[in-house]
This record gives sequence, structure tokens and C-alpha cells, in this order.
Amino acid sequence: MAIRVDPMFIDILAPLGAEDVQLCYHCGDCSTVCPHHDEVFKFPRKSMRLLQMGLSRKIETTLEPWLCYYCGQCSEQCPREADPGETMMSLRRWLISRYDFTGIAGQFFKSRTTEVLAVLLTSLLTGIFLLYYGFSGGNIHTYDGEGAFLPSQFIHKFDLSIGLLISIFLVVNALHMWYLTMVKGPTFAVPWWLYLAQLYQLPLHFFTQKRYSECERKSKHPFYMPWFIHLGLMLGYVTMLVLVMVFIEQLQSGPAIQWSVHIFGYLASIGLITGTIYFIRSRLKKNYVQFKKSHGTDWVFAILLILIVLTGIAQHVLHRTGLYEWANIIYVIHLMCVVPWLFRMPFSKWAHIIYRPLAMYFAAVYIAAFTRREELVHSFPVFIK
Amino acid sequence: MKNCRIGVYICSCGTNIAKIVDVEAVASFVSGLPNVVLARTYKYMCSNPGQEMITQDIKENQLNRVVVAACSPNMHERTFRNALRSAGLNQYLFEMANIREQCSWVHKDTKEATEKAIALVYAAICRVELHEELESISVNMCPNTLVIGGGITGMTAALELADAGNSVHLVEKNNHLGGNLARVDLTAPYLYSARDLLTERLTRIMNHKQVHVYLESKVTNLTGYIGNFEAKIHSLNGKPAEENKQVEVKIGNVVVCTGYKEFDASRIVHYGYGKLPNVITSFELEKMIRAGRIETKEGTIPKYVAIIHCVGSRSQEFHTYCSRVCCMTALKYASEIKSANPECYISDIYIDMHAFGKGHEDFYRQSSEAKTLFLMYEKNDRPVIHKATPKDDCEMLIEVNEKLSGELIEIPADLVVLMVGMEAREDSHEIARIVNISQDKEGWFIESHPKLEPVATTTDGIFIAGTCVAPKDIPDSVAQARAAAARILARIAKGKIEVDALYSEVNEEICSGCRFCNQLCPFSAIEFNEGKKQSHIISALCKGCGVCVAACPSSAIKGRHFTDNQILAQVDGLFCEIGM
Repeated sequence: MAIRVDPMFIDILAPLGAEDVQLCYHCGDCSTVCPHHDEVFKFPRKSMRLLQMGLSRKIETTLEPWLCYYCGQCSEQCPREADPGETMMSLRRWLISRYDFTGIAGQFFKSRTTEVLAVLLTSLLTGIFLLYYGFSGGNIHTYDGEGAFLPSQFIHKFDLSIGLLISIFLVVNALHMWYLTMVKGPTFAVPWWLYLAQLYQLPLHFFTQKRYSECERKSKHPFYMPWFIHLGLMLGYVTMLVLVMVFIEQLQSGPAIQWSVHIFGYLASIGLITGTIYFIRSRLKKNYVQFKKSHGTDWVFAILLILIVLTGIAQHVLHRTGLYEWANIIYVIHLMCVVPWLFRMPFSKWAHIIYRPLAMYFAAVYIAAFTRREELVHSFPVFIK
Repeated sequence: MKNCRIGVYICSCGTNIAKIVDVEAVASFVSGLPNVVLARTYKYMCSNPGQEMITQDIKENQLNRVVVAACSPNMHERTFRNALRSAGLNQYLFEMANIREQCSWVHKDTKEATEKAIALVYAAICRVELHEELESISVNMCPNTLVIGGGITGMTAALELADAGNSVHLVEKNNHLGGNLARVDLTAPYLYSARDLLTERLTRIMNHKQVHVYLESKVTNLTGYIGNFEAKIHSLNGKPAEENKQVEVKIGNVVVCTGYKEFDASRIVHYGYGKLPNVITSFELEKMIRAGRIETKEGTIPKYVAIIHCVGSRSQEFHTYCSRVCCMTALKYASEIKSANPECYISDIYIDMHAFGKGHEDFYRQSSEAKTLFLMYEKNDRPVIHKATPKDDCEMLIEVNEKLSGELIEIPADLVVLMVGMEAREDSHEIARIVNISQDKEGWFIESHPKLEPVATTTDGIFIAGTCVAPKDIPDSVAQARAAAARILARIAKGKIEVDALYSEVNEEICSGCRFCNQLCPFSAIEFNEGKKQSHIISALCKGCGVCVAACPSSAIKGRHFTDNQILAQVDGLFCEIGM
């Protein structure tokens, strides 16, 4: 069955970053230079082709965009400045909006104003709610313990309910992704036990981002810097999320420092602040090809994150130095950044923290199923047909 | 033959000859022969010292015949003839024995090869004894030129010749000049207006005193030879058919620039040309663009336009060659359609994008920037056009096995443009017959040498230029027109033309006037004198091929430098027993 080309699709993807994809004339240099290109997952060229032809029904079933960590070698190599690296990025943005059943992600990518307004509104509502709660039951001069302005038990429940809400969004979107890429996409059946056999891929890729370290093999650095810093940022983030969701009560008790939890907090803060500054600096300096083009959502991401990290550190320092009023005020501001940030997660680039390791896992399952099928076809050519 | 003093030179050609043929043995054998004054070997006879050796020997030893045993006469006969000339000896008292291509290169055994070389040299010696002094002739060059075809090529050639002060007869079949270019709007890649390119030429030609334009006219006959042709032009020139008149003109040279015709798209059945109303050819689109409105047959503005490349070109069934201009023309259409209607989506369905030469690659890039969707199809797997269903937002759907993605796709289209290739004109064989030039299997006129003689033909005085030779674009056609004009102007400047002394002659005392030779001559060099009832060979046209000599039942024709005696002496020399 022939698939109809859609020359208009390219115009939808242009604001997401694929401004130059039409320049590609398929020399294939990008795929040659990419260390992740293989026989089964042919990218970036193949993805560029599908995008040029506007085969969106086909693209939504591909895993290729997630298998790219955007090292930018392809874009440097491209003889026609078609920017394959940014094209893959734009496809990831589009896929995030495609997986998202609410349609919010699409709106955010399409209009920066919508996103900024949504963030400000969430932030404002959070602020009003917290101030109302604080003043109705607590004392602005108390930070922890009895009569605290924002007691950690309350914040714990508050965090958990937000966590539950965004988990629902994320899980549903991830299921949608699984359906598109593993049920609708493959032309052959994927047996369930392969999911079990390859399950180790999920934590492996989540915690090591091993594939990113394989980008730019020719790099002079023993620790490929973007990978190393990206990994630090991600681990810092996850650690902080666990601390906030599970250990908030120990974390916020005071004024003594509880080293058993706080050591993780400090380490996570280092990872977060280094990563955030590195990426903001790179985006401003545009010193490397993958930082040359920044989408509006990238800036919202970076600005919110730096605000969260700075206010988080500030409330911690103010709490320990006894400036409780200021600690409480900064804490409210901190949460006014954290809540929109968390709510934004399933609808933004941030979601790649889930989609990417999932895609690596699915890709491993896909390859296993593909190989199995090839072997079967080889042994019993008649039956399979 | 008495008083023959022959010098024989055997070339080693580096090791090309010497490694198989024992050149010293050849020399020592030859030096003992009667009439041979000297026999020398040398590493490279064609080198300057080699030639000087011959010149000096002629002077010092009073040689009056020279034999060089070396490579093919095609390669160096002229070189050695010049050596003779510079020593004051008639250049035809020379014979060459080919002991390289016909001996050392094709044999492995030294003994046999040496024997064969000796036989070849001996045969040459036997022949050269009978050589006569010959003088080449020169004929007057008529400064007028006939240009057949009034397209951009013909007009350019005509102007070039006329501007130099020579009279030009420009014959055009249609009732206007301009040819195929007059059917075009803009030209790729710089989007110059075709009209502008033509108008300048047209006004100059119309007002040029030296250019005689014959519209609605045909050349019906051409007789004579280089420098002295006579052409009959059947001319209407806007007059009713009853008044048609035959014009006869005297000319020295002819430039054929009859151009091309477009491929008939209905020959490719599954493109539906002629059946689907909105499948049109590139020239039909040009017509729309020139009229200022690109629309479907129903009068609507098309939202999707698909352009299909290589229609009739690059296929085993139709023409295997590439028509050269269609790729860039297709990009030009993309640009023209897009500027007429920015809302339009253009698909460009090609086999390969041939963007050779200056400006074309940039033009291709611009088209990509303008979001033309390029789709590649397999040479032997052509796109199929069918009507869309009513629920589609387009009129037709084109099914293609897209090669760069490996997907079977459908392309929406309201208007399909077929990039029809170039073909030789159907009347080209008639022209070829009249001016006596050859055509290849596709019908294009054949150049004398595809690389080094691209505008000359095997008939002296007949030149070919532009798209009647092969598909080409405007710059190449114009360059060829000017090249042909330059060749002709050089000859006109000389005033006379040298003709090789190798031609055949009719002995009028013997010729019975049977006219047998008249039909056989491949160069139309034999005319019949009705008064004397005898055939006469026009020496300027004769190439000395010898067909008439062999055919003449009364042996009345003699091929100069290839007389019966000379040939028989050579054959005898080749086959006589020679003890080593």
C-alpha cells in the first residue's frame, strides 16, 4: 500500500528546528560519519528522507530519533548545510508532542508565549496556594519543626501528589510510544520474552548514557565532555528528585546538617549547577554545532533549572544560617519554579529522560526480534511467507 | 626502375618495435637490395633528429625515394612527408611500412615477426620505386555560406559570418526565426528571458545587408564541392504556394543547424499523456507560462504540481542518451511555478539530477531551498499516474517506488509536467542526404571526430552545429555555431583551399559514358558531362577511395598514388620468396 507524501509536513517541522532539511540531497555522509548508524537503524539520512517526504505516519513509528545523542558530527560533515543533527532534534521534539495524548506538548513547541504563560500561571497559582497555606497554619519566622511556615510533612504530600500526576502523564505517553514503535511500527511480531531478556538495557542506558559516550569517538578528551556533563546533570537531577520525593522530611529538618542525606544533596547540586551553567554557556557561545540552534523551549528549560538550583541552594543556606523569614520566602519562590518545572516535564524536552532509555531498550528488543526473524526465515523460508 | 636511389629507415620505436622485431636484421637484409642506397635503424624516427637524418641523407646521398618502416601512416605519414619536403623532394616519393601496429604489437615470435617486417618493408620498397611526383591542387573558396536552420544556432552562425563581411543565406522551414528557443519563456539557470536572447539577434539579422533570410523554405538540392557549392532553395517566404520559386545560390560552405524535436510523450503509455487532461509536456507548460497563467484544463490554479524527468530519455525502450537540458529546465519550472503561485507544492520526480557546469549546482540548491520535494525513481520502474478518488484533495496520484527511502509512495498532483527529451528531427535524414553527411542510429548527425572535430563532418565544407548533432543547451549550441563560423571564416580568409593530390582521374579517351561510377561514388564526386557523354571526377570532392577505379568496366579511371602498378608491385613484393 502506497503511503501518500505530505509536502506540508516539512512546514510543521521547520519551527521545531528542521529549517534546512529540504537542502539534503542524500549523499549519505551523515550516516557514514555517525558512530551509531547500523544496518537496522539507518539514520540520520533515512530519517531526513522520511521527513522531506512528510511520511509522518512512518516517522512516528521509528525509534531512530531517540538513538541519536546529537554529537553534531553529521551536521559538521554535511556538504549542503542541511543540519542532520538539528533535524534529528526537531524530530525528537515532534515525537514528544506526538506521544503526548493531551496535545499540550505540541502547543508548547509551537508557541513560546503559550509555554511562558502556562509556566507563569502555574507558578503564580503555586505561590498563592503556598502563601495561603503557610499563613493559615504556620509562622513565617519558623522554618522547620513545630509551627513551620511550610512543614516538610505537608511538602512531602504535596510533592508526592504532583509526582503521581506527572507519572500518569508520563506512563500513558510512554505506553503510547511503545504502541507506536513496537506494535504499529515493526512488520513482524515481537515476542514478549524478548522484553524480559533485554530488560537490563533500560537501567544500563538510563544510568550510564553509554551510547552518548560513544559519540565523537575521535574526540581528544578521555571523558567526552558533553557526555560527562550531561551524565552529571542527569544523575544530579535524579538524585535530587529521589531526595525530594522520598527523603524530604530528613532533608528539611534542621538546623543541623544530616550528612546521610545532605551529602547526596550537595553532590546532586554540583552536578546540576555545573551542567546547567555548561549548557547555558554553550548555548550562548554557540561554540559547538549542537548548541548553535536553540529552540524557545530550550531556554525555558535552562532558565527554570538555573532558578531552581540557585533558590534551592539559597533556601538551604538561609535555613542553616538562621535567616528563617528569608529562607521561607526563597523556599516559596523555589517551589514556584519547581512545580511548573515538574508539570512541564511530560510535555517538554525534559521527557527525553524517559523516552531515550526506553528507546534504547525497545531498539535492543527490536534488533533481537529482527535477528530472530531473519534466522527463522533463513531456516524455514516457506513457512514464514 | 632505373635511377632509383632509395633510403630505408627502420624505427625501433623505443622498444615497441625492437623488442619483437630484429630491426638490425631487417636493415642488413634491406641494404643488400638493388636501388637501396642506405638502410638505417634509429630509436625514434619521428623525433627531430630522426627527421633531420632523413633530410640530410636525401641531400648528401641524392636519395630520390624514401621508405620508413615504423608505425601506422595515420600516425606519422605527414611527419615524414614534411621531412621530404624540407629536403626539396616531392612528398609523394615516400612510402611507409607499418611494422608496429601490424607487426610487433600483434606477434610474439621474434623470428616470424622479423620475417614479416622484412616482407612489409620489401613490399614498400617495390611500391615506392613506382611512385610519381604529384602536386596537390588548390580551388577557389566562395565566401558565401548557406546556413540551414534559423534557431539560435543558425542565427548566431549567420551573424558571425555576416559580421565578417560575407554573404549568408539563412534558410528556415517555419514562417519565423527563433526555432525551439522561441517556444521558451525563461532559461536556466540564470533565468534570462529567451525572448531577450532572441530579439537582439532577430533585429540584427533582419536589418543585416549580408544576411538573406528565406522563411518557409527548404534546401532541395546541393551540388558541387567545398568552396564551390550550388544550392537550390525552394522558398515560399510568405507567398502563396502557387508562386513558390526556386532560388539558386552559390556558396562555399554549409552550416547545418536544424535543431531537434521533442519526444512524443504519448509513446509512454502509463503516463497517460493525451488521456489524462492535466498531464502536459514541458513545452505546453512553457506556453502557459508565456501566457502568464499556469492552470489546469478546468481553469483552476493547481495546488500540487509534479514534474517527471527523463521522459523518453535514458531508457532502453526509447533513447538511451540523456537530453542534457531537462534537469535544469525542470528546476526552472519549479522556480517559475513557485513564483507564480507561492502556495503551490512542487514534486520533482527524477532518476538522477544532472546539474553539470556553471551555475547549475547553485540553481539546484536554490530549488531545494524553495522546498521543491525531490523524489527519485528507478530507471526501469517508472512512476504510474492514476486519477485520485473524490475524497482526495488532488486530481491525480502518482505512484512511485521511491529509491532514496525504499518506500512505495503516492504523490498528489493537479498538474503533471512531463520533461520530454530531445530527438533528432524526422526530416533529418532528408537533410543528411542532401548535404551528404551521416547520421548515427538515433538520427543525430555525426561529427568528423567527437572530441577534436565537433563541428566538422566527413564531407568537406559541410559543418554541423547545435542540437542537430546531439542534445545540448544554449551556451553549447551558440559555441558550436561560432566554432563552425570560425572554421569557415579561416577558409574564406585564405581565399583558396588545398586539396590532397590523392584523387582519381577519368581518362576521357577510354571512358564510354556508362555512368556506372556515378552512382557508386560515396562522396558524390563524379559528375556526368552530358555534352561529351563522359564522366568527370571533381578532384576537390574525391577522397581517392578507389571505388570507381575498381568498378570501371573499361579501366578508364586511375587512382592517383594508388595506380594498379603500384598496388600490384606492393602485393608482389609482399608475397615473393625472399631468402634470409
